[in-house]
Amino acid sequence: MARNKFDVDETLESPFQWKHLKRAFQYISRHRFQMLGALGLSVLASICTLYTPKIMSKVLDEVVPAGDVQTLVRWALIYCGLIVVSIVFTVIRARVMAYVSQEIIFDIRRDLFHHLQELPFSYYDSRPAGKILVRVINYVNSVSDILSNGIINSILEIINVAVIIVFMYSVDATLATVVVSGLPVFIAIVCILKPRQRKAWQQQSNKNSNYNAYLAESIDGVKVSQLFARQEVNCSIMKRLALACRDAWMKAMYVSNAVWLSSECLTQIVFSLLYIAGVYWLGGGKMVSFGVILAMASYVSRFWQPITNLANIYNSFVNNIAYLERIFETMDEPVEVKDVPGAEPLKALDGEVTFENVEFGYEEGQTVLENLNLHVRAGERIALVGPTGAGKSTVINLLCRFYNLRGGRILLHCADGTTQDIAGATLHSLRSQLGIMLQDSFLFAGTIMDNIRYGRLDATDEEVMAAAKAVRAHEFISQMPQQYATPVNERGGGLSQGQRQLIAFARTLLSDPRILILDEATSSIDTQTERLLQQGIETLLQGRTSFIVAHRLSTIKSCDRILYIGNKGILESGSHDELMAKKGYYYELYTAQTQAA
Amino acid sequence: MRCIAWLWSLTEKKGKARFVTALVISAVTSVLLLVNPTLSAKLVDDVIVAQNPEPLLGLLAVMLAVKLCREGMRYAMIIMLEKTSQENVLKLRCRLFERLQYQDTRYFDRNRTGELMTRMSGDLDWCRHFMSYMSYAIVDCVCIFLSTLICFFFTSWRLTLFLVMVTPLLLLITNLYSRQARPLFVFMREKLSEMNAGAQENIAGNRVVKAFARESFEEEKFEKRSAAFRDSQLNINKKWLSFFPFIEILAHAMTILTVFLGGYLIIKGQLTPGQLTIFSQLTWALANPMRQLGNLINDFQRFQTSAHKVMELYCSRPAIQDRATAKEHPAMKGKVEFRHVDAAFDRTEVLHDVTFTAEAGSTLAIMGPTGSGKTTLINLLARCYDVTGGTVLVDDDDVRDWKLQQLRGGLGVATQDVFLFSDTVDGNIAFGHQELTEDEVRECARIAAADDFIEGLSEKYDTIIGERGTGLSGGQKQRIALARALAMHPSILIMDDTTSALDSETEHYIQQQLLHLPFQCTKIIIGQRISAVKDADQILVLENGRITEQGTHEELLKNHGYYWQTYALQNDLPMEGAAS
Repeated sequence: MARNKFDVDETLESPFQWKHLKRAFQYISRHRFQMLGALGLSVLASICTLYTPKIMSKVLDEVVPAGDVQTLVRWALIYCGLIVVSIVFTVIRARVMAYVSQEIIFDIRRDLFHHLQELPFSYYDSRPAGKILVRVINYVNSVSDILSNGIINSILEIINVAVIIVFMYSVDATLATVVVSGLPVFIAIVCILKPRQRKAWQQQSNKNSNYNAYLAESIDGVKVSQLFARQEVNCSIMKRLALACRDAWMKAMYVSNAVWLSSECLTQIVFSLLYIAGVYWLGGGKMVSFGVILAMASYVSRFWQPITNLANIYNSFVNNIAYLERIFETMDEPVEVKDVPGAEPLKALDGEVTFENVEFGYEEGQTVLENLNLHVRAGERIALVGPTGAGKSTVINLLCRFYNLRGGRILLHCADGTTQDIAGATLHSLRSQLGIMLQDSFLFAGTIMDNIRYGRLDATDEEVMAAAKAVRAHEFISQMPQQYATPVNERGGGLSQGQRQLIAFARTLLSDPRILILDEATSSIDTQTERLLQQGIETLLQGRTSFIVAHRLSTIKSCDRILYIGNKGILESGSHDELMAKKGYYYELYTAQTQAA
Repeated sequence: MRCIAWLWSLTEKKGKARFVTALVISAVTSVLLLVNPTLSAKLVDDVIVAQNPEPLLGLLAVMLAVKLCREGMRYAMIIMLEKTSQENVLKLRCRLFERLQYQDTRYFDRNRTGELMTRMSGDLDWCRHFMSYMSYAIVDCVCIFLSTLICFFFTSWRLTLFLVMVTPLLLLITNLYSRQARPLFVFMREKLSEMNAGAQENIAGNRVVKAFARESFEEEKFEKRSAAFRDSQLNINKKWLSFFPFIEILAHAMTILTVFLGGYLIIKGQLTPGQLTIFSQLTWALANPMRQLGNLINDFQRFQTSAHKVMELYCSRPAIQDRATAKEHPAMKGKVEFRHVDAAFDRTEVLHDVTFTAEAGSTLAIMGPTGSGKTTLINLLARCYDVTGGTVLVDDDDVRDWKLQQLRGGLGVATQDVFLFSDTVDGNIAFGHQELTEDEVRECARIAAADDFIEGLSEKYDTIIGERGTGLSGGQKQRIALARALAMHPSILIMDDTTSALDSETEHYIQQQLLHLPFQCTKIIIGQRISAVKDADQILVLENGRITEQGTHEELLKNHGYYWQTYALQNDLPMEGAAS
């Protein structure tokens, strides 16, 4: 599996395409009515303000010279009225658009998060968590404005430009052409800058993502860094990453700011050309009329201002497209393990499991399991033993369908006598009937009660406590000052590793599974607690099929059948006594351990 | 304002000079903005009205020069500000990261990763935004407003006075808004951080989520947080829009006053039409800064909220740091002594009156039930926490008199909760000792029984392993963690339940290897299995934070206590009343 590290830039797999925009428009089009409304309101507001200069000139040219105070007051009131109306329109538009832009990011964020939930372990295993996080939070936040107000404003500016062009041509076609002639030049400049700009912003988002990845990892692993007195080295790595961020940012700034710079300069050049053309060239020795040139001069800025605005919008658009691409790239990440079309929910299981010619490898060209056949009766207790890394956890991962098989199939038997291939069952129905106790006992921020209840969300407090009692976690929990309301977090807070395992254990038991899977679940728990815990869950194990990965012989010996996993399959299978008599791998393992003790 | 002073104090001398120059340029260029319209009026009068093309080219050249000059200066100004702000961001990123690196364990118990991430990314970005954009936008606004006002004042002080009367109203409104909006911004920042923390946790715990098929539950949880963040932003927007009309009206009031009051004054004969033309042509120069002000206030509030969070981290000092009396020690020999040590977290006692000595080069084993304080013992030795009573001594010197870096540099800890970094296997093993040669890394891996499986990885020692060692089995992670601890060539090697996930053959192999380490060290082994602890020179049994048994394997077996019970359980010996 190709893995990404904090200081490795992620190459963007799909180049920029119109489909990204089309996709963005899907999010926008859900709010098309609000957006159209907002657009309409903006137009109305500008119509209102369009009249205000007219009133002003009328007042100055007619009313004031006439000395008519009454008319003056009347016009003042009309003026105020127009302003108020335009403010009302503006406020409504702002409110609507705030809502729309928030909704758009909310939707994108929800879809992105939803997709992340479906992505397989391998996705999370192959890149630093910080790089995923930065997409869900920072990138989504960044694109909100450009997708809402950016679009409305650019439409308004385009309307503006179009109207001005019409006005200009109606006044004087030749002079209008002079004014518009700057536009192709500007577009050419933008086209030249664009690839550089795009590259610069992509670079910037890459460096930013690296920075965040290292940051997240360093915060999570801070204790290790401190124990190994590694802080200075880490700080120098951080400095390198932060320097890369700064350089990428500055590069983007040099290019991006050139866009408005060129449009501002062009405005002035066009203005000069307009006067020169008007005075020397057009009139055939005579000047163009006073009114025409004044009108055209005022149109120059009214034409180029929206163009500059559009350039600015375009600028932030190019900048945000780099983020948008990353977001959509994540959404396009293939979901390897998902419900197949027509997947059916698994019926109630009876606990019988069959592995048929199962073949699997985590990476191409690597085979972990080959031609594995196994039949487990309902209620049977299976121990998986063997050297570390031989594939004990893999067997379990496959049963839970955390990965798809490369070959063969796994069948589960239902209570009504039918069998179902797990590949054709819905994931939710499969995993909710399995109780999986993983190696790492990850706890979520919240109380101990919340964490145990994660196993079954509708469990009552009493049921939670009963589960805690069964796994002998109740004793230490009730000794804590806040008991079940004690807050814990992912880094552990005040809990020891063993205590965390006990809580994770209670969480699994609460889910009341048909098939229980314990993956080195009790490694950090002391022998005596483990013994008590075993007694406590003995009743729970009754009638349930269980798969137990463990290294302790006491745990293993109590199982109905022991599977020795090695050499890509099951090397030995049988009860403790059978395997001891066989004097094979298990015998060696057992004697090594008892001798060592 | 405290935040601005703080940002300023961070800036280097050169950066300060650059920053001030940029703001001066901003002031000059904003006044320059008024030049071209004046020249333009002259152009109309002298060329068009006078029908005289002669001054045209000269005027156009001057205007073009002014414009190019102004825009060129603006470009330079923006780049200068970006540079200065980037220098500061760079500095802050490094310094804040350093703060985090040296922060004590309690700090991380209190602050979630997502919150710290928010500070180091989004909040820092607002500091950047303030320096690179808001600073000059404010200067622009103030300069344009003031220069126009001055220009007005000399034209007609009477009308100007009326216009100035609007200003206190504006200040009043913006002040009121700031005060009401501040808590909303703080609230929004909190919601952002919560959402961030939620997403971060979900990504970190994705295995558990999948194991329990809790995807939709997680989505719901996240959606709630995401919605809370959205609503908090909409709230601010709502508050802003309730003030916005007043600011907008005041901005328009400038125009209204100019035209209508000006008109009235003309009628009364107290103003000439020419004077009024100047006024009416420049009212935008008063109204625009007022409109800008509204946006700036929102940005400023956001900046302030963020800057406070950044400052908090910047100013935080770890409770555990080198004491003034801490001194440089000669090479650590490895003697460990606990004298009547007490430890408590949040008023819950974890260790009580723990006393023992482990001579340099000896092996000490610690056993005991879950939560009895074994790991705490190690945390005290490494000074991740400080004792609440008694003393921990290394080489007969209080650990608090050691320099932290030297103390921890002498320890090699194979932690119980194995955290590996997304780096190559080689990089992970040489984590604490960067200069290690390839052969030395391999040697450490060999002692830790990791060489075999590493050779089996696709790119051997150059294979990148995921964060937290995802993709490796528990036993593989433990072995890499052990190799990492060995690579420190520590004077005190601590193995906190390091072999729990290993099969017994591998464990036995490692034990044999540890007997012949190429360097001298004291070994502290925490374990649950008799096989892991029985060969130690001294075994401690810790129960409820107290030492209940102490001695060698043989001595403890005779005690018929916890140790003996465990021994019997693990070897399946008949035993009466052991597991009660």
